[in-house]
Amino acid sequence: MMTITPVAAELQAQDVSVWFGERQVLKDVNLTFRANRVTALIGPSGCGKSTFIRTLNRMHELIPSAGLAGAILLDGKDIYDPSVNPVDVRMEIGMVFQKPNPFPTMSIQNNVLSGLKLSGLHSDNKEELLETSLKRASMWNEVKDRLDEPATSLSGGQQQRLCIARSLAMNPKVLLMDEPCSALDPGSTRRIEATIEELSESMTIVIVTHNMQQAQRVSHETAFFLADDNVPGGVVEFGSTEQVFGQPIDPRTNDYVNGHFG
Amino acid sequence: MSRGDRLFFGITSSAAYFAFILVGLILVFLIAQAWPAIQEQGFAFVYGDKWEVTEEKTILQIGPMLYGSILIALLGVLIATPMAIATAYMIVFILKGGWAKLATNLIDLLAALPSVIIGLWGVLVFTPIAQGWAEFLHQYLGWIPLFATDKGTTSLNSSPFIAGWIVAVMIVPIITSVTREIFSQFDRELVNGALALGATRWTVFRRVILPTTSGGITGGVLLGLGRAIGETVAIYYVLQLSMNINLFQILEPRGGAIASWILSRFGEATDKEFHGLMAAGLVIFITTLIINLIANVIVNKAQPWRK
Amino acid sequence: MSDPRPAKQPWNKSSKLASFKGLRGFSDAVLVFGSLLLAAAVFSLLLSVLWSVISAGSGAMSAEFLYQNNRYISTTTSLDYGGVGHAILGTLELVLLATAVALPLGLAIAVYLTQSQSKLRNLVRAITQALAGLPSVVSGLFVLSIISFLDAQKSGIFGAVALFPLMLPTVARVAEEALRLVPQDLRLAALGLGAPNYRAFFQVILPAAKTGIITALLLGLARVVGETAPLILTIQANEGTNLNPLEGGVATLPTYIYGFISAGYASSITRAWGASLVLLIIVGILFVSARLLTGDKKKKKSKGSK
Repeated sequence: MMTITPVAAELQAQDVSVWFGERQVLKDVNLTFRANRVTALIGPSGCGKSTFIRTLNRMHELIPSAGLAGAILLDGKDIYDPSVNPVDVRMEIGMVFQKPNPFPTMSIQNNVLSGLKLSGLHSDNKEELLETSLKRASMWNEVKDRLDEPATSLSGGQQQRLCIARSLAMNPKVLLMDEPCSALDPGSTRRIEATIEELSESMTIVIVTHNMQQAQRVSHETAFFLADDNVPGGVVEFGSTEQVFGQPIDPRTNDYVNGHFG
Repeated sequence: MSRGDRLFFGITSSAAYFAFILVGLILVFLIAQAWPAIQEQGFAFVYGDKWEVTEEKTILQIGPMLYGSILIALLGVLIATPMAIATAYMIVFILKGGWAKLATNLIDLLAALPSVIIGLWGVLVFTPIAQGWAEFLHQYLGWIPLFATDKGTTSLNSSPFIAGWIVAVMIVPIITSVTREIFSQFDRELVNGALALGATRWTVFRRVILPTTSGGITGGVLLGLGRAIGETVAIYYVLQLSMNINLFQILEPRGGAIASWILSRFGEATDKEFHGLMAAGLVIFITTLIINLIANVIVNKAQPWRK
Repeated sequence: MSDPRPAKQPWNKSSKLASFKGLRGFSDAVLVFGSLLLAAAVFSLLLSVLWSVISAGSGAMSAEFLYQNNRYISTTTSLDYGGVGHAILGTLELVLLATAVALPLGLAIAVYLTQSQSKLRNLVRAITQALAGLPSVVSGLFVLSIISFLDAQKSGIFGAVALFPLMLPTVARVAEEALRLVPQDLRLAALGLGAPNYRAFFQVILPAAKTGIITALLLGLARVVGETAPLILTIQANEGTNLNPLEGGVATLPTYIYGFISAGYASSITRAWGASLVLLIIVGILFVSARLLTGDKKKKKSKGSK
């Protein structure tokens, strides 16, 4: 009876460069995010990883003066093709932000279903979509009796999982997470990490994190970003998480994952 | 961009451009209606001091009114500025929490009072009081030309002095709220820290607060000046309008205010006079527009967080 | 306040400091008491206005004064007859007509200033701020010139048009501040879910800024409800009730006050005070509810951030 038939997709960044005004912040990033895998983006502050994740669903173009070169292929189709509507891209590639940001004027239930309303879609079975989404975000049991309460009545960790459920209700092929746990306590962090693991069975996940242990716990692959004063950010090393943390090839990666800087 | 968004941004930007159109429309309509008078009266319209409308000839000149507006506005600013700075200083640096909030709200309430009410109060309640102050000034400082009067003047009411006070009442809130916002960007802890180190309130105010905020306060004063020049109804009640120019005898019951002049004349205005009043309105509009643009640039610079 | 030590020995450095200390204490006292004194002067002026209106205005107050119109009333008619009922209705009518245009337009300008990425934003903000300083008499003359251009008769609708440019900048400014208070996160979250900008605005940002928008409305109303000069120039007086904005004269509270002050008789002055009290109460209600709304929001915000 599942109305959702999740399909993960492969996401590929080809020679992605980003500018803010005159300043180049990313140069020639090439990464492939394989379907049903969790990829962690790590690196010190200001290395461009947050900027990069925003290019993956065309959120970065909301910043005035932002410019981009290169291509992002979703199952082989460039999401920056002029014929593609960014709104459709964002429905297929969901995003969870650093700070939990449920819509304060809506109830828990309406938050989960807000994506439908916001994108003007209709669902034949909202109840089921609601339940499925909350279950996938593993919070159904906590909130099933208080669906009409305002979203702001939830704790920080619950709010973040509500934001995940909100994205899941759109049935995205890819989920982007920009430091989703940095504002949460360890208990909530652990629960979200467990959720990520379950979700990877049905979608592709890209997660930006500052937390090395987290990257090792949740991801299959890891990309290490680095920038310097006059050098725009780029990928120094990309490989399986085990390899990047265990036997880094680049000495800078070695220094970073072993806590020598950053 | 989706069709809905194109419509959304189309509508909002049209609304934004409408603000330009509105200013343009005001200019165009005023100029069109003022043009016959400007053409006929020439530049003397601005500085001449005759307003004669008879069968044979029409002379329309607003010199004394324009001058009077500026005189009253300056008086108003002179009276209001110290009061406004003092009030802002009190709210930010002396009063605590709830009291500061109450004082802020009262000042804002003063700004919300309609000018017709200020005018009614001004002529019936305030004028008798201010007349006493004027008599006092004249009696003891009458040797200063500023406080001298013509021979034979008996009652010191309806003067630029009183109009200046009325205008001051109306612009005190404007200057106060700008000054208060600029003062409040001072870290109170910093000021308290300086006090704890042995600096006095006065030195902190004189050497730290005032120098860094004077630019922004000037902007607030200019905003008040613009408001004062455009003030109409309140001055209309408390001032004796006269084409016989009053240069500096501020206690003399004779003065000018260009906006009030418009109000006093338009009821029985002939066609030609009508255009003259429109020209007077155009003068007010351009003057206040320039003052306000400059004032806002200064205030915005002093309050960068507003952007 | 001043230091009691009389020591004044210029050759001794430390005692020189001590004598300065007395001077310092004095200048501090002057600063504190001076500012309190001047502020007290401002508040006495305010209280004097309020008290005058309340005490003199209550002399005219009665139920009849609030609902009757002024037909068959001369400047010397006893206060038992006639009132401001027609003027209250007229004021509400003109102000609401002005609001019907100024609110959506002001809100749209605020949206432009907060949501769009146009380079013209600063220019639009500057011109809106400049409009806020538009003298009310100029707005009246502007509409008067439109009337003359159209060769039309003065009527209520023109009064509303004259109020509109005065209301617009207030609504736009307060609404902009309200929209700015909505966290940017929420907009991003909505867009991240695939919402077009307009849905993100109407379903997420606008509801979150609701009280602020109502505040903008209230302050806009308070801004124009007492405007006099533009109405004197653009509408004709009416002693009776006329709710047709397209034809005939219409009474409003400010023009009613204006008319009865000018008449000069004791009873007409009392009527002017009475109408002033009614106007003051309206302004007061608008002002206080605006403040209560903003206060509520701040409280809620601090609660939410815990």
